[in-house]
Amino acid sequence: MNDFEKNQNIVHKICRLYTTNQQAHKDLFQEITVQLWKNYPKFRGDAKFSTWMYRVALNTAISLYRKSTRTIKTQDYSEVSFKIKTEDYDDTEELQLASLYKAIQKLNDIDKALIFLYLEDKPYKEIAETLGISAVNARVKMNRAKEKLKAILNPY
Amino acid sequence: MDALDKYKKAWNNQENSFNRISENEIYKLAHSKSSSIVKWIFIIGILEFVILNSVFLFLDFDKANQEYEKLGMTKFVKYSNVFSYIVLIYFLVQFYLNYRDIAILDSTKSLMQKIIKTRKTVRNYVLFNLSFLLFIIVVMTVLSIRLNTNDFNEKQLWFFGIAMFFTALIAMGLVWLFYQLLYGILLKKLKRNYKELSKLDA
Repeated sequence: MNDFEKNQNIVHKICRLYTTNQQAHKDLFQEITVQLWKNYPKFRGDAKFSTWMYRVALNTAISLYRKSTRTIKTQDYSEVSFKIKTEDYDDTEELQLASLYKAIQKLNDIDKALIFLYLEDKPYKEIAETLGISAVNARVKMNRAKEKLKAILNPY
Repeated sequence: MDALDKYKKAWNNQENSFNRISENEIYKLAHSKSSSIVKWIFIIGILEFVILNSVFLFLDFDKANQEYEKLGMTKFVKYSNVFSYIVLIYFLVQFYLNYRDIAILDSTKSLMQKIIKTRKTVRNYVLFNLSFLLFIIVVMTVLSIRLNTNDFNEKQLWFFGIAMFFTALIAMGLVWLFYQLLYGILLKKLKRNYKELSKLDA
């Protein structure tokens, strides 16, 4: 539980990528927490806790989670501010982060996972194993996903 | 420098802009109910087995047995019942084994494959039952026609046969449509993602 508490940002980032409002974010966070808890006895400690967490959280977001059909008026992410830790604070990075999230949300679920793992600096071997594709395919697919993302970020 | 590098820097510098959840709250969340697709497929699957089989409990077997006797089908009905129960047990075991094999720690692709396989087991079971029902209807119709050849003329018998066939077909079509809708909605996202991943290894 302590490990999870420390690493909860991984789950928050995935929730923000795979949902569009805060209620859905909460729902997905809850489902991932349930899955982590249920599967913790199977965590053998041969991998890092965070690596294991990436897999459970991504699999839940991509394969298990069903979008709630409830239409409660909730706060949209566009109103959420992003906090950046830099010594000389300026809002450039904050804006970049906001547009990065917005752009990734436009990708399909698999591309989202690829870009997320790239941003988290995961090696290709781990990305390929997580998704269940070959490392060569992961590399090809990653390049395409990055191109799509760049096109969304800089349309001209 | 890659165009994405500056964004990556911003990504790495994102501080805690999320509402941090305390250990206590996480503990509460962990014990809440799951709403995963797998859980729903399991519940719906079990319901299908139960509903389909409980329908037979409400049928009036005495009356039916008399009819079977008249048609000289008692043995046929007995054996086909035994056969359908063996098949039911086979499918229940398969369904349970598939469900048990679903592990979230698999790769995304293999997890999806297993979820789809579990659903297919139930689908095959329903298809088996529908085809079996159709087969029984056809056999009964043919036998009834044979028994009643003296009371009706040929035209009437043909009409009876064709009407029975189409009624059975429409009933099966409706069940199939309901089934497609039920799982279609449940698995739409999963199938789309599975296709996306499968395209890569094609």
